Amino acid sequence: MSSDLQIVTYLTGIVVISLFVNMGISLYGMFAKPSLIKKLIALTILSDTANVFAILVGYRRWPSGSVVKPPVLTELPPTPERIVRFVSTAVDPLPQALVLTAIVIGLAVIIFLAVVIMQVYRTYGTTDVRLISKMRGERK
Amino acid sequence: MEVLVLTLMAIVALLSTLATYLAITERDLLTAVIYSALQSAAYAIIFYLLMAPDIVLVYIPVAVGLYPAVFIVLIKKSERYEGG
Amino acid sequence: MKYERALIAVAIIIFILVLSYAVTLGAMGTALPPPDLRLLAKAYLWLAINPWMRNLTVMSPEAVTSIVWDFRGLDTFFETAVLYLAIIGTVAIYRGVYSSSKRASASEEEGGMSPIAKSVTKITLPIVIAVAVAIALHGHLTPGGGFQGGSTAAVILLLVLVIFSLQFSIRVGITKGSMLALRSTGLLGIAVTSILVLILGLLIGYQSFIFQNQPKSYAPVGVPAALDGMLVSGTLILFNIFECLAVAAGLTLTFILVLTREEDIRSAMKGDKHE
Repeated sequence: MSSDLQIVTYLTGIVVISLFVNMGISLYGMFAKPSLIKKLIALTILSDTANVFAILVGYRRWPSGSVVKPPVLTELPPTPERIVRFVSTAVDPLPQALVLTAIVIGLAVIIFLAVVIMQVYRTYGTTDVRLISKMRGERK
Repeated sequence: MEVLVLTLMAIVALLSTLATYLAITERDLLTAVIYSALQSAAYAIIFYLLMAPDIVLVYIPVAVGLYPAVFIVLIKKSERYEGG
Repeated sequence: MKYERALIAVAIIIFILVLSYAVTLGAMGTALPPPDLRLLAKAYLWLAINPWMRNLTVMSPEAVTSIVWDFRGLDTFFETAVLYLAIIGTVAIYRGVYSSSKRASASEEEGGMSPIAKSVTKITLPIVIAVAVAIALHGHLTPGGGFQGGSTAAVILLLVLVIFSLQFSIRVGITKGSMLALRSTGLLGIAVTSILVLILGLLIGYQSFIFQNQPKSYAPVGVPAALDGMLVSGTLILFNIFECLAVAAGLTLTFILVLTREEDIRSAMKGDKHE
């Protein structure tokens, strides 16, 4: 590979590997830490990292002579040359539309889980899963 | 120019990994929420460098505004320090 | 103890820097990032605004909003339904407790934070609401849209709920009933807009389908794409307005319920009746 391609691949590799490590650390936090609130924080980090992966798939290398641009046509009214230039320098719009939906659904799930954790604290008096399982064992 | 943008993205990604590690291994839950908001700010910068302005406009109110607010109300109504 | 954590953090960063050299040698199979877009992305970018393919285009220069509300409109419809179900679940859990907050707000006590925080919030409230409405209304021309504007407005309304106290907000008019009414108006608007062209087509006698925006070759009914020279993109602007209203009201409703005082909730759980 030419050295320019090697540098670009190395830097993108750093971003990808560090996102994988983020996923790994948050998965460890979700099943190893005993507090319900810490598990919820780890769940938000996990879902946000999955969304960043989806947007990363839509990126592209810079075409020779110009920068990459967001998928918004800024030169109106549209002429055929402007549309051809727009298609050759824009990033992928489809992952961005899907991640928009994913962020909203993640927000709904996290808000509902927070309300349920508040109710669990009012019922059992603690948010430590080991103590809760012991109390549930004694109740039965 | 392309190398400059990708270098910035790599530095911010390493910063987000550091913030995630500090958030998961912290016993004081309020400090863990602050580290999680720092990691969300790093992700917002990565979204901007990946040329996704729609996602930045959703992500900043939701992950830096609404998630820490929900967590702080949750911590105030239950325990602040993780036991054990 | 602190040195142990710092050592582990440095070790993780060195691990990342070393492992990405393996990506350079070809560990991910190909050179990242890819040199050109996929054919599907090029098709969506061609059809976003294209006056020469009038029966396939959306007439909106913003490709992401045209995918979210026109090409894949049913996905967004069901995402709105999921958010609606989560908020209704929260309302159902807090059933019977809210009336105590209304009773406490009858006494005219001065709660909330210091006058400095209150005056700063009074200044930034109209600024942030104006920015949120601008983001929502320009969703078909610039990056933005309904959900972006709605969540920005929800953040500033949450700030008002926390700084002036909950009792003051209920006295002023930000109550559970008014937020539920605004949210229902927004959702009703989205439902009506999605079947607008269908009903129009049935009345005139042409074929049409749900979530239709522009006239197609086999369904020649549609909403106008430009009003008097200004680009309006058909149903996109109506969807953005109603979605902004629904999201802002729904998220504020959730925070009104969550911020109820603990002693009211515990007394309701024990069984005291609240009038």
